[in-house]
Amino acid sequence: MLNGLDIEGNSPLHRMPARGKLVLLFTAAIGLFLLSDLRILAPVLALCAALYLSTGIGLAEAFRRTRFVLFTVVLVAAANYFLHSPHEALAVFCRLCALVLLAAAVTATTGISAFMDEIARLIAPLERFGFVRAADVSLAVGLVIRFVPEILARYGEIVAAHRARGLPVRPLTTLVPLIILTLKDADTIAMAIDARGFRRQ
Amino acid sequence: MTTRDLVLVALFAAIMVVLGLLPPITLGFIPVPITAQSLGPMLAGCILGARRGMLSMLLFLLLVAIGLPVLSGGRGGFAVLAGPTGGYIVGWAFGALVCGLIAQRLVREGQNEVAQIAAFVAAAFVGGVAVVYLFGLAWLSYATGGAFLPALVASATFLPGDLIKVGIAALAGRAVLAGYPLLPQRA
Amino acid sequence: MEIVFTAATVRYAGRVALHPLDLTLGERRIGVVGLNGSGKTTMARLINGLVKPTGGAVTVAGLDTVRDEAAARGRTGFIFQNPQHQMILPVLAEDIAFGLKNRGLGKAEIAERTEAILARFNIAHLARRRVHELSGGETQLGAIASVLVTGPDLLILDEPTNQLDIKNRALIERTIAGLPEQALVITHDLALLEGFERVLVFHEGRLAADDRPAAAIRAYREIAAC
Repeated sequence: MLNGLDIEGNSPLHRMPARGKLVLLFTAAIGLFLLSDLRILAPVLALCAALYLSTGIGLAEAFRRTRFVLFTVVLVAAANYFLHSPHEALAVFCRLCALVLLAAAVTATTGISAFMDEIARLIAPLERFGFVRAADVSLAVGLVIRFVPEILARYGEIVAAHRARGLPVRPLTTLVPLIILTLKDADTIAMAIDARGFRRQ
Repeated sequence: MTTRDLVLVALFAAIMVVLGLLPPITLGFIPVPITAQSLGPMLAGCILGARRGMLSMLLFLLLVAIGLPVLSGGRGGFAVLAGPTGGYIVGWAFGALVCGLIAQRLVREGQNEVAQIAAFVAAAFVGGVAVVYLFGLAWLSYATGGAFLPALVASATFLPGDLIKVGIAALAGRAVLAGYPLLPQRA
Repeated sequence: MEIVFTAATVRYAGRVALHPLDLTLGERRIGVVGLNGSGKTTMARLINGLVKPTGGAVTVAGLDTVRDEAAARGRTGFIFQNPQHQMILPVLAEDIAFGLKNRGLGKAEIAERTEAILARFNIAHLARRRVHELSGGETQLGAIASVLVTGPDLLILDEPTNQLDIKNRALIERTIAGLPEQALVITHDLALLEGFERVLVFHEGRLAADDRPAAAIRAYREIAAC
């Protein structure tokens, strides 16, 4: 039911390893905010837009995915226009849009399993200190994806029960049983996991 | 970490995803509808406690980062985190942590109902509102080059909605404590 | 494979779930019946180490369930009542493969063994399906496959057909009948016990009867009536 936001393709960004893309994003998050020259920022924005479209996502979907965030960027830039200067506003606009589009490009070209593999690699050194185990993280992610449909269905049943009794559907009367019933399952699910010896300590 | 804790963390993150699929809560007297999902961090802290609450929010953050469309409205991926509201989403984890710490310290199972609700209100407000805003505004300031105060003022429009959230979360936290207590009690 | 209980007891705060039990099990098909709270589930969970004895000991193929916990658990598989709680990854094939990944097997071998177990239970067509779309019986079969893929000698099934409709019940019955592995089945569904070699009847934490199916079930009915 939950599908990743990555799309099929063979663009340069697709072929780039996950780690490289993360480094690129991180560098941009810092680098962009050190620049204020519009003569550099504007072309960088154009480059990021081009990169995003080079993934093959198509203009409509590209816009659909980012319109909400871009709207907030416009708001923020507008605030800057009134509080500081047009130059500031444009700089903010360019920086944030560039970062957002680059980020969207990375998301569109990196699959979930590629991310999970990279996370496992990043966590490996931390495992030695006993903070967290890569196997636990991937198990946790799997569990979430596995149980979202069941929990959603359970919510539907709770709402149906409300309607059958003529009760108004309110957050408190629906969310409380949803949470209790869902968390109660934790014991049996944990037992099933332990019975299969998944988490050899 | 016990398997049971791991499953609780995962199930709560899954609940968070489901909250994102529910329609927004509209109440006539507030300007902006409340997304059910924004209740998540407060519920996580009040119900699971500090450690598990924070971990469930971090797990949720991870799901967003790896490109699953789990944020309200089917959004996800790095774009949302990179945008102006990214800080709030990261703030959810720390908000749940602080909310949980306060709830764990103040709430006792033997107390009367009003005292428990008051404690949850305090926990939900400090963790779910103050801490989340701190992170949200920090990133917003960085992203916009320092306009902290105006952003803070602009956030005031969301305050009435946030106070309603605090109320709902506190009442829900108390109800879950009565029905299936999971909150660790630590002096 | 032999399972030996030596004065095995399980005591919870203020309650004895299982009184000291001395028992040796080695048959291919063992049934366990009893009222709810009779100790039958506790006894089954002692075998795979989910419950530890508060007194006495339990050994599985000579391995002590406390001292050699991991090794003992590796020899048994456990199927729970609710199929939904056992499949923990979204896609069936992933869930099956996950058990193998943790054992350090290579990708090719994992894929091979996953395919083999799916074929064995005729659910190869369900491999890439999302677990929440499967019927109760299909999910239970999937759970059985996930558990058996790691090669345990004994399969313990705790009320496996409780939540299934009549058609899926028959499916699981046939599957259990056809298992080459040793099976211990706790059940309220007495029809499931046909052809079993030995049936244990538990009552109030004690072994009340231990006989061939017909005699044991008679004893169970007498106990349950009072």
